[in-house]
Amino acid sequence: MQQKELAAMLDKLTGRTTWLHRVNPSFKLLLSIAAFLVVLFTHNINILIHVTWMYTVLLFTSSGQPTRRLLLILLPFILLFVSSGASMVLFGTGETTWFRYGPVHITEESFFRGMHLGLKTVDTALVGLLLALTTNPVLLFYSLMQQLKLPAKYAYSFMAAIRLIGLSAAEYRTLRAAYLVRGVKTPRGLRGFAQSVQRYAIPLLAQSIRRAQRIAVAMEAKRFAASAARTYYYRVGWSASDALLAAVLLGIWACAWWFAAQLPHFSITDVR
Amino acid sequence: MSKGLKLTDILVTIVIAVVFGIIYRVWGDVYNVFKVPGIPLEQLIYGMWYMAATVAFLIIRKPGVALLAEVAAALFEMLLGSHYSVASLTYGIVQGLCAELTFAAFRYRNHSLVVAGLAGIASGLGALVMDIFGNYLMEYSPWLVVQYVLYRFVGAFLICGTLAYGLVKALEKTGVTQLVRPVSQDDLDALGK
Amino acid sequence: MEASVWITGLRLKFPGSSGLWFDRLSLAVRPGEKVLLLGPSGCGKSTLLQVLAGLIPSVIEIPMKSEDAGRPDSWGYLFQDPDAQFCMPYVDEELAFVLENLCVARGEMDERIDQLLERVGLGKDLRHAPIASLSGGMKQRLAMASLLALEPDVWFLDEPSSLLDPEGTREIWDTVKRITSDKTVLIVEHKIDEIVDFVDRVVLFDASGCIIADGEPDRVFREHRRDLQSFGIWYPGVWEDYADGSLRAEGGELLYRLPATAGLPPERTGEPLVSLKAFTGYHGKEKKLEASHASIWPGEWIAVVGENGAGKSTLLSSLMQLIPTKGEYWLEGKQVQGLDDVVRKAAYVFQNPELQFIGSSVFEEVAYNFRRDGEPEEAVLARTAELLDSFGLAAQRGQHPYQLSLGQKRRLSVAAATVKAQRLLLLDEPTFGQDAANTFALLEKLEAWRQHDKMTIVMVTHDEDIVRRFATRVWEVKNGLLTADAEGWALSSGLLQDHEDALHAAEGAGRHAG
Ligand SMILES: Nc1ncnc2c1ncn2[C@@H]1O[C@H](COP(=O)(O)OP(=O)(O)OP(=O)(O)O)[C@@H](O)[C@H]1O
Ligand SMILES: Nc1ncnc2c1ncn2[C@@H]1O[C@H](COP(=O)(O)OP(=O)(O)OP(=O)(O)O)[C@@H](O)[C@H]1O
Ligand SMILES: [Mg+2]
Ligand SMILES: [Mg+2]
Repeated sequence: MQQKELAAMLDKLTGRTTWLHRVNPSFKLLLSIAAFLVVLFTHNINILIHVTWMYTVLLFTSSGQPTRRLLLILLPFILLFVSSGASMVLFGTGETTWFRYGPVHITEESFFRGMHLGLKTVDTALVGLLLALTTNPVLLFYSLMQQLKLPAKYAYSFMAAIRLIGLSAAEYRTLRAAYLVRGVKTPRGLRGFAQSVQRYAIPLLAQSIRRAQRIAVAMEAKRFAASAARTYYYRVGWSASDALLAAVLLGIWACAWWFAAQLPHFSITDVR
Repeated sequence: MSKGLKLTDILVTIVIAVVFGIIYRVWGDVYNVFKVPGIPLEQLIYGMWYMAATVAFLIIRKPGVALLAEVAAALFEMLLGSHYSVASLTYGIVQGLCAELTFAAFRYRNHSLVVAGLAGIASGLGALVMDIFGNYLMEYSPWLVVQYVLYRFVGAFLICGTLAYGLVKALEKTGVTQLVRPVSQDDLDALGK
Repeated sequence: MEASVWITGLRLKFPGSSGLWFDRLSLAVRPGEKVLLLGPSGCGKSTLLQVLAGLIPSVIEIPMKSEDAGRPDSWGYLFQDPDAQFCMPYVDEELAFVLENLCVARGEMDERIDQLLERVGLGKDLRHAPIASLSGGMKQRLAMASLLALEPDVWFLDEPSSLLDPEGTREIWDTVKRITSDKTVLIVEHKIDEIVDFVDRVVLFDASGCIIADGEPDRVFREHRRDLQSFGIWYPGVWEDYADGSLRAEGGELLYRLPATAGLPPERTGEPLVSLKAFTGYHGKEKKLEASHASIWPGEWIAVVGENGAGKSTLLSSLMQLIPTKGEYWLEGKQVQGLDDVVRKAAYVFQNPELQFIGSSVFEEVAYNFRRDGEPEEAVLARTAELLDSFGLAAQRGQHPYQLSLGQKRRLSVAAATVKAQRLLLLDEPTFGQDAANTFALLEKLEAWRQHDKMTIVMVTHDEDIVRRFATRVWEVKNGLLTADAEGWALSSGLLQDHEDALHAAEGAGRHAG
């Protein structure tokens, strides 16, 4: 089976399938980690400003999600930006005082450090969002197994677990039906809420654990562990999209670097 | 008996981890709402992000489980599009390692509330080190840093100790824990020679 | 002796429980032998099979000891619970998983999968169906397909046909017989008619898991008839013995007796309890059941029969309003709009017993309904104990429902659902996986409720004897259509097979009512 069809088949997200979906999932994961590390060791706020807008453009053009949904997803990012930066802006240490009142002490250094922190968080989040929106977790684990030699024990466990959680919704419905059929009533209000959490959360978790154990037994009974080598029903391979993503990311960072050097918005180039 | 983790242990651990991965993901939003500049009360609930490790260990009671659970939960949190993205994975690895080392320090024989709480605190410590490097923690005013650390440790103990312990006790009533724990020596002795 | 599977001095203890099982049991099976393990429900057959296969203790960690054990290298295991044996979400992936483990090349997989599905009677259109959407019997067929894919030397079969329709049972056993002629096969099964000729050896267990007989089938069935009867184990001809009242215990007292009223239709007076008109049931968006016209009168015992996947369970869950339905559905003169209109008048037993459990122990599970109805605590204790006793679950009262054997789970789910006599009782295969004693006890209980409390029973079953002897009417579901509707005796006289005559009988029944 072609990886493309496969992705479409397994994919439950309602968005369009784009070239990002076709990128080899392991490779995408590795690139995301690399992108995170680069952000982590970037202390120049001018670079991050450019990276942020370019990531946003990439998200809107290539994630395959409708614009309205993306805007909705991005809404909490404002809060994220503010909440990760605010403390540093208001209570950080620094030399050049701008404002002081009680414990609040805003300095030039802490202000830029706070903004930089906010951007770091947002950039990391954008990469994560791109990865999450364009990667099917099941395919990722097939790929980790095939390309990065993740032991099959772990990969299959992950795939089984992801599917088990998918079943939990159906299980919740059955449990509800069972309660209704048996005439169980839930009181209203906070007590009722606490009771239903207990009534549903514990059995559902217990059931998942039990099911996991049984799946493991079934896998062993199907001679899973006995086979050191194995063939694959689904193969995840490489495509031109892989090169494209690597090029795009490289391009973004090179441009950001260049822009930051050519037209710096702020004079501070190291927030530490 | 324990020569590494068996398929059953891995699968059960990862299922628990995936459940917590979902909780971790949601927690990101909860946490942001609780954030008020100057009063790091949100640190009280930060401990939720170490809970997979202690819950999994309290259920399965085998070496390696705490680390695996925490890393898997963090990985899954990332795949669900968490704001923390890859950072959640790196934090997960450090937190999982710290919890694992705590349980190892008690030779994996102590399954009490206190040890679980200590494992939580250890994870908190690990995360703190990460914060110092990644989030310029030491650049905050000292009084803020003290509060930050204090709240984080108290929260970690309550969530990973008290809460996790209570949850596992409730699960024990359903009998599932027996399916996944190692055979006890008492039971073997009862079988005679 | 050259054996392919053996164990000596086995004893085992479930964690947290006090008793020991198997008190130093020894068993050896020679290569190529076909062995049937027979015993009452809950005696440890499934547990023993898992020990012999080596699943206990290496994969399922249960404390056990033995002096010596020999496990096969190449083995396959069919689990008793059809819901407990799949590791993938889709039919093709499940079979592919086995093929992957066997390192079959990717290019050969598709053809192999198609072949396997055909051999167990699953259509090509089910190839990429979600396993969760299969009916109970279809799941059991799929489980058999994975086993066929493995082609093991030693086969462990734990009730492989308990949920199959009669035709499917025959086909599956024919396939097994053909393929395993030179293989070792260990079978646990309650429905033994198809296999008594196939096995070379029968091992008989008592209720505590001790071997009480071991030998050729004919000899065991002949010499141990008393034991079989007093332990309530199926043997060829047990239904005849039951019908003419010769099932006696050691002491000679009569154990079970076919009630004289069994199979007698009630008088149809007044309004029907249920009437359906253009009634349809849906799984998701797909229509999976249609009943154009049907009624149920108070005090009837309707047996619902039909092939695996025909829509029997769907019919019952439609009647219970657990899935979306359309059309007219009247219950006791009121039109049913949703679950709320049904829960107080009807009780339902799911096909999969586990779906039903809400208590944390066997006792709690049954006591729940008494408590809900506000009975005083002493009455709850007494009545629960009595009910558990009559369902053969007294010894398990402290266990969690999940820790029961499948037969025990089945009984508990029936006990819990029938705590209070309801007007309408919907039972989805309540006797599968049961031994003879519990089957007869359950049937007699139902018949008593039908007579004294005017309870109306709708019961899905594949057991022709139950249909023939207890049902007052038969409904057949075919491809999602409630087609035939005939008097209970009709099945035995072959009417149901003949569509025309069956419809005719239904018309007759309708006239009779009007
Ligand atoms: N975890 C457990 N703790 C305590 N008792 C248990 C546990 N699991 C099973 N049992 C008991 O062990 C006995 C044997 O169970 P097993 O499933 O082997 O029975 P079985 O002979 O296969 O019965 P059936 O015909 O109903 O399937 C049962 O009485 C059951 O209640
Ligand atoms: N949850 C579901 N989602 C989608 N389709 C389903 C679902 N459950 C059952 N079906 C389909 O509905 C049809 C009828 O299934 P049903 O379970 O009613 O069969 P059944 O007659 O009870 O069979 P069995 O004797 O094997 O239990 C089958 O084709 C099945 O695949
Ligand atoms: Mg059994
Ligand atoms: Mg059914």
